[in-house]
Amino acid sequence: MWAHDPKLGGGLIRDFGSKGCNRTPYPLKSPNPLSTRGKLNTIGRVTFSNQFHNYQKGAAGRRRRRRKKHRNINLPSPLLFSSTHHLSPSSSALPEQVYRFTMESTNIKDLLTSFSPSLDFLAISSGDGRIKIWDTIKGQVQTDFANIVSTDETDIFAKPEGGRMSVDYTCMKWLSLEKKKKRKLRSSLLILGTGGGDILALDVSAGLLKWRVSDCHPGGATAISSPANGSCVYTAGVDGMICELDSMTGNLLRKFKASAKAISSMAISSDGKILATAAAQLKIFSCSDHKKMQKFSGHPGSVRCMTFSDDGKYVFSSAVGERYIAIWEIDGGKKKSACCVLAMDHPAIFIDSKSYGVDNLGLSVLAISEMGVCYLWSGTNIGELQSSKSTKVMVSVEDDFSKNYKGAGPTIFSAKLQNFSKPVTGHVFLAHGLLIKPAFEKISIQCGTDIKLTSSMDGILLPLTQSHKSKKGLENQNHITALDRANTEGALLPVSKIFNAADAKSRDMLSLTKDDAEMDEVTVCLEDRLRAEGILTSDNDLKSNTILLSKYLKGVNLEATVPQKQMRAAVSSMTPDDAYTLLKLLLSMWQSRSMNGEYILPWVCCILVHHGHYVKSEESASQLLDSLYKLTKSKGCVTQSLLQLSGRLQLLTAQINKAADKSQILKQEESDAEDDEEEELLYDEDESSENTSGDENN
Amino acid sequence: MIRGGKSFVSSPPAFSNDAKKLLVCTGNMVSIFSTDTGLQVMELEGHTALVTSIIVEPAPTPASMILCYCWTSSLDGTIKYWDFSVSELMKTINIQLPVYSMVVPSFLAYKSENNEKLSDIYAYISVEDTKNEQNKQRNELRGKILKCNLSKSRLVPGVILSESKKPEKITISSTGKYIGIHEKRKIRIWEVPTKDLKNISPRKLKLSHTKNLSCIAFHPTDRIVVAGDVTGRILIWRGFGDKTFAGSNLENEKLLKDEDEKPGVRGNGDADSCTTWHWHSSEVKVLSFSSDGVYLYSGGKEGVLVLWQLDTGKKVFLPRIGTPLLNFMSSPDPSLASISCADNRIHILKMPRMEILKSISGIKLPSPVPEMFRGSCKDFVFDHTAGLVAVRTENYCIQFYSLFDDREISEVQVCERNHQPSDDVTMILNLVALSFEGSVMCTVETRMAEEGIGGFVTLKFWERGSQNNDFSLSTVIYEPHRDAGVSAVAFHSTRGMAVSASYGGDFKVWVSNHEILQNDKLFQRTRWACHAVGSYRKKPMTAAAFSNDGSVLAIAAETVITLWDPEKNVLVAVIGSTREPIENLSFIGDSNFLVSTSQGSNPQLSVWSMAKLSVSWSYELHTEAIACSEKDSHFAVLVVLPESSKADVATSHSGAILLFNAGDPVPVASWFVAKAKGGGIAFIQRSGSLDDDMDENAGQVLLAYVNGEHEYAVFNPHGVEMQERKVRHTDNVFVTDPEVTGQIGYASIYGKLPEFKLEAIEAGAEYTTPSERPWETIFSGPSHSLPPLTKLCSDFLESLLKKRTGTLI
Repeated sequence: MWAHDPKLGGGLIRDFGSKGCNRTPYPLKSPNPLSTRGKLNTIGRVTFSNQFHNYQKGAAGRRRRRRKKHRNINLPSPLLFSSTHHLSPSSSALPEQVYRFTMESTNIKDLLTSFSPSLDFLAISSGDGRIKIWDTIKGQVQTDFANIVSTDETDIFAKPEGGRMSVDYTCMKWLSLEKKKKRKLRSSLLILGTGGGDILALDVSAGLLKWRVSDCHPGGATAISSPANGSCVYTAGVDGMICELDSMTGNLLRKFKASAKAISSMAISSDGKILATAAAQLKIFSCSDHKKMQKFSGHPGSVRCMTFSDDGKYVFSSAVGERYIAIWEIDGGKKKSACCVLAMDHPAIFIDSKSYGVDNLGLSVLAISEMGVCYLWSGTNIGELQSSKSTKVMVSVEDDFSKNYKGAGPTIFSAKLQNFSKPVTGHVFLAHGLLIKPAFEKISIQCGTDIKLTSSMDGILLPLTQSHKSKKGLENQNHITALDRANTEGALLPVSKIFNAADAKSRDMLSLTKDDAEMDEVTVCLEDRLRAEGILTSDNDLKSNTILLSKYLKGVNLEATVPQKQMRAAVSSMTPDDAYTLLKLLLSMWQSRSMNGEYILPWVCCILVHHGHYVKSEESASQLLDSLYKLTKSKGCVTQSLLQLSGRLQLLTAQINKAADKSQILKQEESDAEDDEEEELLYDEDESSENTSGDENN
Repeated sequence: MIRGGKSFVSSPPAFSNDAKKLLVCTGNMVSIFSTDTGLQVMELEGHTALVTSIIVEPAPTPASMILCYCWTSSLDGTIKYWDFSVSELMKTINIQLPVYSMVVPSFLAYKSENNEKLSDIYAYISVEDTKNEQNKQRNELRGKILKCNLSKSRLVPGVILSESKKPEKITISSTGKYIGIHEKRKIRIWEVPTKDLKNISPRKLKLSHTKNLSCIAFHPTDRIVVAGDVTGRILIWRGFGDKTFAGSNLENEKLLKDEDEKPGVRGNGDADSCTTWHWHSSEVKVLSFSSDGVYLYSGGKEGVLVLWQLDTGKKVFLPRIGTPLLNFMSSPDPSLASISCADNRIHILKMPRMEILKSISGIKLPSPVPEMFRGSCKDFVFDHTAGLVAVRTENYCIQFYSLFDDREISEVQVCERNHQPSDDVTMILNLVALSFEGSVMCTVETRMAEEGIGGFVTLKFWERGSQNNDFSLSTVIYEPHRDAGVSAVAFHSTRGMAVSASYGGDFKVWVSNHEILQNDKLFQRTRWACHAVGSYRKKPMTAAAFSNDGSVLAIAAETVITLWDPEKNVLVAVIGSTREPIENLSFIGDSNFLVSTSQGSNPQLSVWSMAKLSVSWSYELHTEAIACSEKDSHFAVLVVLPESSKADVATSHSGAILLFNAGDPVPVASWFVAKAKGGGIAFIQRSGSLDDDMDENAGQVLLAYVNGEHEYAVFNPHGVEMQERKVRHTDNVFVTDPEVTGQIGYASIYGKLPEFKLEAIEAGAEYTTPSERPWETIFSGPSHSLPPLTKLCSDFLESLLKKRTGTLI
């Protein structure tokens, strides 16, 4: 039964729950179980003695295995991991397990989170004196501040041997010092309050402690808040004092006593004019003269979180143990009760609000409960807000994971309301999942529809049994569909030819049976089409020609002088293949002299001009154009003499009768000449293509 | 205007004196990163061209460690002096010649120069002599090494250390005593004079080798110089310059030595011995001594940092960096160093252990493509809705890079291959396509045949996970078009449909089917299957595009465009023909126009009217990329200017972006850009970014331009911002900027008419209505009725471009 010890000794803690449980211990197969056991045991011991912590793990493994003997297949307790962690903090294989331990020991109540002003980063402090900065875009840890205090050598109060565990952060606020409009390099500070009453400011991007105020609040700082412009920072402490610090230097600007008791929460309006402090009682101060403006009582316990609305007219607050958010209106009046209450299932740990709409009357409020569920309310005014129903966003676990984790499942632990454009939809930036590996997501919320986020178990090193993991892996592979060469050819619809949409369906049925070989020879078969149209069979039928003509020309009379414009419009509105058939038709008519060339030629010319590209690309057209070329050439060679003749005639007629109509003749000549040019060009190209194809044949 | 995508590795970075900051040359800026967190803390803006070197002024005493002054040199011909603690420019020295490299020996020699009065600081700069260029053409020695008095802001007259074909990088020894360059197979070394004596050029020597050298380094204390060559050898010359540099009192000794053998020293090189180390299999790119001179760091294409013990030649490695190394910098803090890698990443190393602490990474740089795939590879695609660009990387990944945030979002491994830079290329990622909303990605990879067998093409469809940025593989299709390569992939804008066109003469329409499987639990999966196959006369299909509503599929079959009904697979129409195969097709927004481009000897940009099924207008332009807006009828093209006109425009402008309205051949606006070859453009939506400040701009359509080196700029093509830029840039057109340099309304080019004046441009809208525009009417007809484009367009454009610069100069 000691067979696996060497492996465990090698430092792979994650194998605890897996291989040991599932594999059949192989000494059973061994002919002599006793001797094998003995030998392996020695090997195991040798490995252990290499490193102390390995030995510890091995011991843990042994303990575990003993339990297994008694058919106790539970996971090892987290404590076991933690002890191994402290013994070997530098082992690189361990951290994720360690975080699991810390996560299980922390409730999100004790968690401090803060988004950077641009939401690029999220700072999380889980009470172990370590601040982790997560990159919200990549979802990775960007940097980690473990012992800022002890590295700060200039501070005489810093204990050299303190380590990170000696610092407990009690409050955190990330504020931007943005002055100039520059996107990328906004300077921002992470302000931290400690249980010892110190206030620290971290320049996160530089990784430096910017300033530090020691013993600002004897007994401990409890809240940090700052107006939107970030020019100053207000801190509150157990001593009941409010300090105003310069955010650039940390110099104490002003200080006043706000309460005789400890202040549990504090907020400042975004314009920096009004300040709210709360223990159990909520007090509103004016920032300029520190005079108390209003006092509200109603919270039974100390207020845990509090925030102002954007316009500074309302304060939202929630106390420990309360299952609602109270909204207080700041109007300077004597009213002492909450004007509105928003109910939740569990006490809130975080509140955010945002105004929207015309004159910023609309209000949306977001809260996160102790259970890690995000609530959202919105209303176009305070009355509507009160009557609005909450929309919940929660994280569900994707499988039977939570059973094994005993309630330490994924939660939403930080959120930020973004633009709430319409009364019913808003965008919220959320950090959710497990603390080991939070997921960051911007979600769009429709008020009234609850959202369930699924959390993936990415960041955890084998949280469950190996079998679960491997099953998952198999499933992942099943997700992928693989198609090979043959499969890809099995197209749902093989290629179809050009045909009319009308008979497409019947063709579809036919073509379904056709295979690839036929598919390859498919080209745009004009003959088929023409035959279908009944053109080819009735080539010489003049009657059908005229019918077709009228069909194509759409009522334009061919045997009349059509204005150039109208002709062009008619031709360009035709589809190229229609135009092409018309062209063929016209040429056959011209050849058969069934109609006067005077009428036909302008049309031919016009078609060639507008659809020349298509005509050129038709294979059967080369013959056609060939014949046309010959025809026009034969006519062209007599043009000269005809011109002479017409010139003479013109002269004669002019002399004889001044009222003679000459435009007609001229026009015909013109179009003739133009036609010739076109043809020459086309013919040349066709010829060359024929030549090349001839070469290929050779 | 947002810029980004800068290369971090174009020039060596520099550490600040306390090693807390790393100064990195990023384009025409210097970005300062914190070595603790790897985040950017500041940037120095002021140079107008690539910054080529940074020298941090060393602190003479430990107390002054916090002083943060540095000198930077740039290709814009200036040397600037900064206080980088507050990002302030202190001084500018105008050299007027592009500076490729700069060293300042006196900074390093401060220890030896005890309490002398503060003498002037001299720098040696390697410049390219661009002044003589007009008179004398080729085979001129253009690279020069000059001496510059930084304190007095002027060049030292008459000192030209060397002249070479092109400007070389100067290397300096860490004591500042020697400077050297490597030029082909030679090393030239100069001894820096300790006292400034006018007009006496420093003593120099030459060492030669049989192969081209790639880098050199000086030993910090001894007279040892090491050089790496292109074949991977490292040469160590010990005791160089005994003859030349040593004092005359050693003469006798030296004479004795002369009679001895000088093992390994080639020719009459002045060195005691030359030994060779060989570990690298290809070019050595990095050589650097440790500060005590006991160790030597070397690196090259293999992506392995090798640490040599100088005396014994024993080696320690930092392997698996995965990409060629370009630079190694050791810092004043002995526990920190940095290496720059060719994948645009700087790793900060914890030193004695050579462990990577932090990485600073930027957009992946273009990866080289084998010759045979040159035409069929696309370097990057845009995700229009999220404002991302998906970049193909050398290690078979797709990097998603946010244009708005200028940072990497995620990386998707596409091929299950472990990339090692020195391996032979056996696989290549050809194409990437993203569906409109960015949820589906399609990749095409080609596995090359090994010894004639086994080469095939794979088409992969990837689905984006519901919440995270990861793509997961949903369907693999092996040999989608038999043996033929895939030329283009396009996605349907609304439904799960894609088309792949191949050079083999067919195209396939793929559709996604959702399946809900119900084994132990419910999960959904998508599989893609072939929906239809089509071909047109067995012609190679070269481009494909879906119309915006998805009802028409346009496939270019070499020179003609075939239009199909993608659902029924019916050939609807065939239009046109161009003179060269069409390379790019795109439907223009909601207008009924289609734009196509073809390259080759007769490049053409054509706009086809879908209503008339004919060419609406066309230009003879070498078009690199098209971008069509979705909503209106605007489209932009990135054109590469012809060589002839390039000489006339400022040399940095290799291309132009022209913005057109579909029906109108006269461009609405234009911008000159640099490095257009291999670039791309796209209209992207400014989403409601994470940043609250951006909300006022949300929903705006912006034009993104990524140039051939993956630097980018995002701007509003219709915005006021551009108008301002335009005015500013016309004031000084010679402000050379690696990217969008000047905005000159293309239409204003039409204003080359006699009455054209600069004021006309500055007046803004003036240029849209020049009094005479005969061109408009000429271009508006169908192309048949125009005079041949070859005659009309090229002459016309070129003459205009000439005219334009003529007026500006």
